[in-house]
Amino acid sequence: MWQRHLAAALFATLGMTGFAHADQLADIKARGTLVCGTQNASEPYAFPDAATRKIVGFDVDVCNALAKGLGVKLEHRALSTDARIPELKTRRVDVLAAAVAWMPARAAQVDFSDQYFVAPIRVLVRADSPVQTLDQLAGKKIAASEGSSSAAVSVTRLPDSNLLTFHDISSAFLALQQGKVEGLVAGQLILARFANEAAVKGGQQYRLLAKPVFEERWGVVMNKGEPALREAVNKILVDYDRTNGLQDSFDKWLGSKSVYKFTRDYKVEPIKVQ
Amino acid sequence: MFDLSFLLEDGYLKLFRDGVLTTLRLFVVSGLLAIVVGVALTTLRALPVKLFKAFVIVVVEYHRNVPVLVQILVWYFGVPQLLPAGLRDWINAGNSEFFFATVALALNAGAFISEDMRSGLRAIPHTQQEAAWSIGLTYLQSFRYIILPQGIRVALPALLNQALLLFKNSSLAMAIGVHELLYRTRQIDNLTFRTFDVFLVATMLYLIGTLALMALSEHFARRRTAPSGV
Repeated sequence: MWQRHLAAALFATLGMTGFAHADQLADIKARGTLVCGTQNASEPYAFPDAATRKIVGFDVDVCNALAKGLGVKLEHRALSTDARIPELKTRRVDVLAAAVAWMPARAAQVDFSDQYFVAPIRVLVRADSPVQTLDQLAGKKIAASEGSSSAAVSVTRLPDSNLLTFHDISSAFLALQQGKVEGLVAGQLILARFANEAAVKGGQQYRLLAKPVFEERWGVVMNKGEPALREAVNKILVDYDRTNGLQDSFDKWLGSKSVYKFTRDYKVEPIKVQ
Repeated sequence: MFDLSFLLEDGYLKLFRDGVLTTLRLFVVSGLLAIVVGVALTTLRALPVKLFKAFVIVVVEYHRNVPVLVQILVWYFGVPQLLPAGLRDWINAGNSEFFFATVALALNAGAFISEDMRSGLRAIPHTQQEAAWSIGLTYLQSFRYIILPQGIRVALPALLNQALLLFKNSSLAMAIGVHELLYRTRQIDNLTFRTFDVFLVATMLYLIGTLALMALSEHFARRRTAPSGV
């Protein structure tokens, strides 16, 4: 009996990886659509617009620019963090502009385009916390969002801390609010928003530790062995930057026209190994 | 198709091992607690006190009808907020993730176990009770020597099923950051993007656990078959 269970489970697992292979850029052009995946609940990168219920944001703009640059229609897919890479590897999406930060082990599995977003990963603590530096987080509990690059980076950059990941960034922040963890590791932008909202609301206040944990560099992610597609994507991204499309989108979601007021201090260029 | 050589790099094997050990610890501790909870609930319900009966019904229905994940989140994020600040800080500073996951899993499994034991006991015909009384056994003696041993045998398959469920439900503890097997699996996936390889390993590890439990249950079932006529 149990042998049959085992065999069934094995076949179910093996069946997931069979797929045909062709030049993906040619496929996209022949099909006339680019299937581009983003996250589904990650403000301001890709999140549901309250009025229209459509997923909008900085990453969605990148998808639009890619489809326009390739001269095809965009088929946008909003994915959970967990589903991003499997959807790409099984070729249900062509490319991902889904907040994927470059890391060496990841780059061995998927191809990254030039960077289209660069931002520091930092640590938020409660304002009354004794912790001032990253070193002081040793032996303490820290929270991050599951599947995020912040969580991955913490494993190597803050190895002496006890990392707890939660399903989403709001539960991770809740753990910080309730004093279950000493710090919250995430992108500077979202942390700044949490701190600002707390400042407006009153009550428990928060501050960012001065030194960043890591500088994350996001690229458009593609399957390995697609040099034509990668070259086309890189060319479109450089044009997107040169014609101010990237700047406009940055201003709208992250910069002067947004609540964050960040300024862009990077450009589209090949990702430097850190 | 699959390449598992990555396991030898960067301590991923150690992460898996830690995950397996935490899963086993979670399973054993919450399983033992669940048996205590289950026996307590069954006993309370069997006593001829209406208030106890109502209490047990409320407890059992809550745990049967609310998703286990929600129960875990309620214990971790909700319950400590009701405690005095000093006690709360003390709990938060310790391994509160493991503690609350264990409590939630034990209560959930305990509620199901009490139902299984109750049906086991109810399967024993009342005539057995009467026969026991007629030879002069007290209520407690007849329960201890006649009803309970037979009832447990009837309930055994269902109880082992609960063990399997508890083993798998332990993976939900990752929602509150317990470093069990599924947590480690997803962590390694996030670090390496080798989704299929990583989950193949996790699937095999979970299968080894559940198949071992099933083998154990067949062993028990053969040795302790319920007597015919029950």
